[in-house]
Amino acid sequence: MSALVLISVLGVVLLYLGLFGNRGLLAPVGIVGLLAAFVFFAADWQLENALFAGLVQFDTYARSFSMVLIVVTVLLFLFGIDYYAKVRENVAEQYALMLFSLIGGLLITSFSNLIVLFLGIEILSIPLYILAGGKRDSFRSGEAAFKYFVQGSFASGFLLLGLALLYGSTASFDLPAIEAHAASIGTGTDMLFLLGLFFTIAGVAFKVAAVPFHFWSPDVYEGAPTLVTAFMSTVVKTAAFAAFYRFIGHMQLPEAVHTMLILMTVCTLFLGNIVALRQTQFKRLMAYSSIAHTGFLLLAFLGFDARTPDVLFYYLGTYALATVGLFIVLTLAKRAAKGDEHIHIFRGLFRSNPWLAIVTMLLLLSLAGIPLTAGFVAKYRVFVLSLANGYLLTTAFAVVMALVGIYYYVIVIREAFTPGERGLQLVVAPLNWLVISLCGIAVVALGVMPGLLRM
Amino acid sequence: MEQGIITAIRVVPLEHYLVLSFLLFSIGVAGVVFRRNTIIILMCLELMFNSVNLLLTAFSAYHSDPRAQVFVFFIMLVAAAEVTVGLAILVMMKRNVDSVDVNQLNRLKG
Repeated sequence: MSALVLISVLGVVLLYLGLFGNRGLLAPVGIVGLLAAFVFFAADWQLENALFAGLVQFDTYARSFSMVLIVVTVLLFLFGIDYYAKVRENVAEQYALMLFSLIGGLLITSFSNLIVLFLGIEILSIPLYILAGGKRDSFRSGEAAFKYFVQGSFASGFLLLGLALLYGSTASFDLPAIEAHAASIGTGTDMLFLLGLFFTIAGVAFKVAAVPFHFWSPDVYEGAPTLVTAFMSTVVKTAAFAAFYRFIGHMQLPEAVHTMLILMTVCTLFLGNIVALRQTQFKRLMAYSSIAHTGFLLLAFLGFDARTPDVLFYYLGTYALATVGLFIVLTLAKRAAKGDEHIHIFRGLFRSNPWLAIVTMLLLLSLAGIPLTAGFVAKYRVFVLSLANGYLLTTAFAVVMALVGIYYYVIVIREAFTPGERGLQLVVAPLNWLVISLCGIAVVALGVMPGLLRM
Repeated sequence: MEQGIITAIRVVPLEHYLVLSFLLFSIGVAGVVFRRNTIIILMCLELMFNSVNLLLTAFSAYHSDPRAQVFVFFIMLVAAAEVTVGLAILVMMKRNVDSVDVNQLNRLKG
C-alpha cells in the first residue's frame, strides 16, 4: 500500500518540479522515490498483504515482480538523465507518465479481482499511448501513438467483453471464485465461461504481443522514442506476463483454451523468429525478438506446475536487463549515426569502444541464449519445465526456433566487430556507461550463478 | 423503486441482452476494422465499451449483485480517459499530416 501511494505521489511531485523548472532534480528525485518504494516492498517481504478490501494481494509472487519492475524503472530513469538532457520541454511529464504506468504494472502483478486487472491494464496503457507520441513534431512518433492507441483500446474492448462473460457465468469478479467455478465445470461445457476465457486471454495476449495479437508491436517499437520502447519491452512486458500467469496459473483450463494456448505458443515462436531474420532496422529486430521471447515465455505457461512462477521470474528479469542495456547502446550509436537505426550503425563499435562492444556482445548472446549467459539458463529452465510436463513436440520446435534465433543476434554482433570505413564517434555519458556495464555484468553473473535471482 | 428497475430489466430474457450486446459489439469491431476515418474509429471503440456496459448491467440485474454496476462506472471512467488521450493523439496527427484518414499512417513498415 505504502509503495503504491508513494509512487503515485512521486509522479505528482515530479510534475510540480517540472512546473517550477527544476529539470536537474527530476530524475534524481524519481530514482530516490523508487528506491524507497523498493525498500517498502523488500521490508515486509513475507507478509500476506491484502489491499482495498482484498481486491489486491501483495503475496510473494506480486512482491518479487514488483521489485523487478521498480529496479528496471530505476535503470531507465538513470538512462533518462542523458536521454532527456537536450530536450527542452515536457520532460517532467514523461517521467511522471512512466511512474503512473508503473502503478498500473504493480496493480496487475498483484490483482485478485478482475476489476483490478482491467483497471491496472488501462492505467498501464493510457500513459503509454501518450509516451509513444512523446516527440510531438515527429510523424513516426505520432503514427506509433495512434496505432498503439487504436489497437490497444480495441484489445481492451475484447478484454472487457471477456470479463463481462466470465462475470455472467460465475456471478463474481473474484479470482478464487472464478478458479473454483473452472474446477467445478471439469469436463463439462459452459459456453459463456469458455467465451469469456477466450476473450480475456486475447486481451491480455495483446499486451504481451503474442501472435496473432502482435501487429502493433513492430510499428510501435520503431516509432516510439527509444526510452519509451525500452520501457514497453521491459516493464510492460514483465507486468503483463506476471498478470497473465496470475490469471490462468491456478485455473483448471478447459481443453479448448489449452489447445488455443499451445497454438498461440507455436505461432508466436515461429513468426517471431522467422520474421526477425529479415529485419535490418535494429528497433524492429528487437520488436520481433521480443515477440520470439514471448513465445518462449508462453511455453513455460503450458506446464502449470509449482516451478513455473520461478522460471517466469528469472526469464523476465534477465530479459529485461539485457534489453535495457541494448537500447542504451542503440541510442548512443543512433546519435553518432544522426538518427539512423539500421544495424550498420554498430559497425566499428569494437574499434572505437572495445568495452562497450564486448558488453553489447554479452547482452546479445544472452538474448540468443548462449551458455554462460543468463539467457541460456532462462531458456534451459523453460525447456526443462515444458519437457517435464510432457510437451515433447512443442519443446523440440522451440529448441529449433531458439537455434534459428541465434542467427539474427549474431548478425548484429558481427556488425559491432567489423571495422567501419570511418571511426565510430560515440559519446558515452558516465551514467550510461555505468548502466550498460551493470547490465552486462549482471547478465553474466546471473548466468553463472542463477540462484541470485529468485522469488 | 430500485426493485422496480430490476424487475423491468428482467422482463426481457437474458439471452436478448446477450444478443443485443454482441450485435452492438460486432458493429463496433466492424467499424474499427473497416472505417478509415479516425473519428468514426473512436466512436466505434466507444460502442464496443458501451455494449459491454449493457451486458454487465443485464448480468448484474439477473444475478441480483451490484458489483457489476460498480464496474460499469469504472468502465465509463476509463473510456472517458481513453477518449481524451485518443482525441489528443488525433489532434497531433491532424497537425502533422492535415488529415484524419488512417491511410495516411503508413510510414512505419518492414
